[in-house]
Amino acid sequence: MSNENDPKPDGGTASHPEQDVTEFEDHPLEWDEPENNNLAPDERASVSQSAEKDDDPKLVTGQAKYTADYEKKFPDLAHAAVVRSDVPHGRVANIDTNDAEEMDGVHAVLTPWSDETPDAKYTSAGQSYPEPSPWDMNVLNEHVRYIGDPVAAIAADDAETARAAADAIEVEYEENDYVLDPEEAYSEDAPQIFGDDEVENKIVGHDYSRNRMSQIEGEIGDVDGAVDRDDVHVHETEWETIRQSHAQIEKHTTLAYTDEDDRHVLVTSTQVPNHTRRQLAHLFDIPIRDIRVSKPRVGGGFGGKQAMVVEPIPLALALAADRPVIYEATREEEFAGMRSRHPMKVRARTAVTDDGSIEAIDLYALSNTGAYGSHGMTVAGNVGSKPMPLYSKVPNARFKADIVHTNTPQTGAMRGYGAPQGTLALEGHLDEVARDLDLDPIEFRKRHYMEVGDLDEIAGMMGGEGAERRIRSCGLDECIERGMDAIGWGDIDQPDEEHRHRGIGMALSAQGTGVAGDELGAAQLMMNEDGSFHLHVGGVDIGTGADTAFIQIAAEVLGCPETDIVIKSSDTDVTPFDYGAYASSTTYISGMAVKKAAEDAKERILHWGSKLLEEPEANLETGDGEVYSEETGESVSLEEIGYEAAYGHDEREHILGKGTHCTEESPPPFAAQFADVTVDEETGEFEVNKLVVAVDCGVAINPGMAEGQVEGANHMSYEMAVSEGITFDDDGRSEVTSFGDYDWPTASETPTIESILVETHEPTGPFGAKSVAEVPTNTVPPALSNAIRETVGVRITDMPITPEKIRAALEDDE
Amino acid sequence: MHIECTINGNERSFEVSKSDLLLDVLRQNGYTGAKRGCDTGACGMCTVQIDGEPTMSCITPVVKADGATIETVEGLGTQDDLHPVQQAFVDNSALQCGFCIPGMIMRSKALLEENPSPSEAEVREALSDNLCRCTGYKKIVEAVLEASERMGEQTVAADGGYSCRCEDTGLEVDSRGETDR
Repeated sequence: MSNENDPKPDGGTASHPEQDVTEFEDHPLEWDEPENNNLAPDERASVSQSAEKDDDPKLVTGQAKYTADYEKKFPDLAHAAVVRSDVPHGRVANIDTNDAEEMDGVHAVLTPWSDETPDAKYTSAGQSYPEPSPWDMNVLNEHVRYIGDPVAAIAADDAETARAAADAIEVEYEENDYVLDPEEAYSEDAPQIFGDDEVENKIVGHDYSRNRMSQIEGEIGDVDGAVDRDDVHVHETEWETIRQSHAQIEKHTTLAYTDEDDRHVLVTSTQVPNHTRRQLAHLFDIPIRDIRVSKPRVGGGFGGKQAMVVEPIPLALALAADRPVIYEATREEEFAGMRSRHPMKVRARTAVTDDGSIEAIDLYALSNTGAYGSHGMTVAGNVGSKPMPLYSKVPNARFKADIVHTNTPQTGAMRGYGAPQGTLALEGHLDEVARDLDLDPIEFRKRHYMEVGDLDEIAGMMGGEGAERRIRSCGLDECIERGMDAIGWGDIDQPDEEHRHRGIGMALSAQGTGVAGDELGAAQLMMNEDGSFHLHVGGVDIGTGADTAFIQIAAEVLGCPETDIVIKSSDTDVTPFDYGAYASSTTYISGMAVKKAAEDAKERILHWGSKLLEEPEANLETGDGEVYSEETGESVSLEEIGYEAAYGHDEREHILGKGTHCTEESPPPFAAQFADVTVDEETGEFEVNKLVVAVDCGVAINPGMAEGQVEGANHMSYEMAVSEGITFDDDGRSEVTSFGDYDWPTASETPTIESILVETHEPTGPFGAKSVAEVPTNTVPPALSNAIRETVGVRITDMPITPEKIRAALEDDE
Repeated sequence: MHIECTINGNERSFEVSKSDLLLDVLRQNGYTGAKRGCDTGACGMCTVQIDGEPTMSCITPVVKADGATIETVEGLGTQDDLHPVQQAFVDNSALQCGFCIPGMIMRSKALLEENPSPSEAEVREALSDNLCRCTGYKKIVEAVLEASERMGEQTVAADGGYSCRCEDTGLEVDSRGETDR
């Protein structure tokens, strides 16, 4: 695998190159939707109900098992610790492991040169194959590129001994020059972080002599031509985003062992079990069939576990120590050595006529991917390919990005996946343009944003010909209307004090639903003789409630109570294949696979119903745990069918359903965000009175869970607007090592977030659903920046927004 | 050294080192409801009640538990018969990944024992030592307020004051939840 990847930079809307383009060049607006997919609200039995989350009872009683909770099952379990680089850039000149190896209770010590340490290059990015990320990593490193790069690993009787052994390892480094700032890193004379021969699977536009892992560009129309016209105003603004931490409260944790069949088992906190299995097979040269990756409960992912971040280390240690090994990262390692959101500078430029017609949008992003390139190109692609299509009526559009390495911890996938950075730039920029031209910011947007029937060509501008998409559902108008009502647009009281002012800002956003043309989900359903079911699905519930949504979808098809369906998900030995939990795909892709599996089983159930009721299948339907005749009203219970199918006299069958789903579609969900803020013009102090976010996610399979996703995403978005994120000292050492250093808003510091679900019907999704969990991550930074601009007239473009920056800007104005 | 304490109504005794932390001892003895989030007392995942006080067990020396009454999430309701605080979390869609929830529930229970009718601001303040990455806190706050209402109603109905069900559930701790169905 040494070929350069085809540019699929958007990671969200690009088409398969081998796909016959003409097949979907001419999308019909009408989708060939089965009748049973479009249910009126009163026809829905399970869908649209806020059903109790399937795993809630065990979660609230403390009975649920996360990876670390399996420790007690392994009496000879060893614990891992990792020695990490103490220098931002250098080579390991000498490593002395003698003291560590001689310590009581130490079972294995691995260095980059140990036999059990894989020496293959790989990427940690949990993406489809071949990964659109460079293979630039080693499990343990001789060439270290950030403070925190893994150098050695230990397995010992307990965590304390492992840590003590790690501390006893002496590493001497030959230090290299290093660079922390992305603009400096991109200059000709910056220290070079990668030799050309240190990377396989290189990505389009790489130039390692300038620390550039990728450069991507796409255009429709003629942006330069539009910008040069006499009748347009050209506006340009520049924006900067923080390095946000996923800060999943369950740290990266993996337990690895070899079972009695000599197969390698990993119980791990992951979003991507199948990708991890494939990547381990590559690294360790073990057949895929001999690796089992099983996901128990996961304590949050947010993209930080859309990667094989730690799994190879405990597996290598388990092989070396010949016993089970658990590696539970420390909180310090989480902040300094795992993943984070790519910090970016984004420049926005538009050409707009006097009367407010946008003739061209031009975005440029400089993305800091840190020491390694996982998700570097695809996240940067989404800076353009998610926010820009929202304005599908703009005739000329261009996006370009440079993705550069620095000697800082590597970044990765994070909820929103580039869209938050692009949305800040575009929505902040449009607000400025509307002000300059004295246009209403909402009307200005409405003239250009997508509506049902539009052919969105911007989404495809970097994905090759034919990657455009037809918009089949769009609730933006209603999102805006209901959001305005909820926030009190145009109807707020000013504070009594003269130096305090109140105002509202807004922003819009679109995302995708899965990676168009690059997803696969599968499910199977087994019927028991008592009429209950086992649902096996590859889809990955990382705390979102996906398992519950799968059950609701299956129950709707089968006409049974949710409690009659027992789900088993995300165990590569048992459950069907799935790409994993990312790109807002789970409900849409894996959920549709579940629906197909349930329909497949239902066909057989109706066959048996027909036999027992002596009526043609065409007259039969399922509901309330029965098969009933729409003609005669006669019915037979699913239990009777189950027993008859399993134990009947003349014919027997295990009723099984299977479903597998992939699609070229990736319908956008939409969000309208409003922020109500009060600012003190003397001090710059501000208070966010309320956040309102209205989201069109199609049909919400479980409205309670969907609202939870919206509120959680908006909280994370708020953090991006007001918190520092991870910062570094001049040596490249993370200044954030604990929750105490990472100022994420607590319950008392978080404003009221009102979530509004606007229902539309997306014909390509299961029962009309599209995605929900990412789009509200994009919108608070621009809405808050716009609100402050509205309130006191100053514009904050570099996140976070702080009282100090507002005060300084107000002083500059005077 | 040897310590004795009451956990969820059961007399327990442990051989421990003076430097051991309560969270480690709890987890090693099957009380894995309390989670390890930071080891620095900064996230609240490990919150249990010691003599009624919500306490971060990851920074509490186990010797402090000697002679004390400890309540963990395992001592509240069972999956079939939830404590009102647990039930309110479920009913309000107040949990997603659930990792913070045992600590959050113990903190909420302690709050409601001290202040049975808190305002929203008081709930938000009380929960501020406990982090949640999934929910944005809104539904958690709503769940605690609803639990407060329900427990208030129970108090009236019982006419003798609400008492929390902190007695042991009778299950062997080591036998709990070995499967993740």
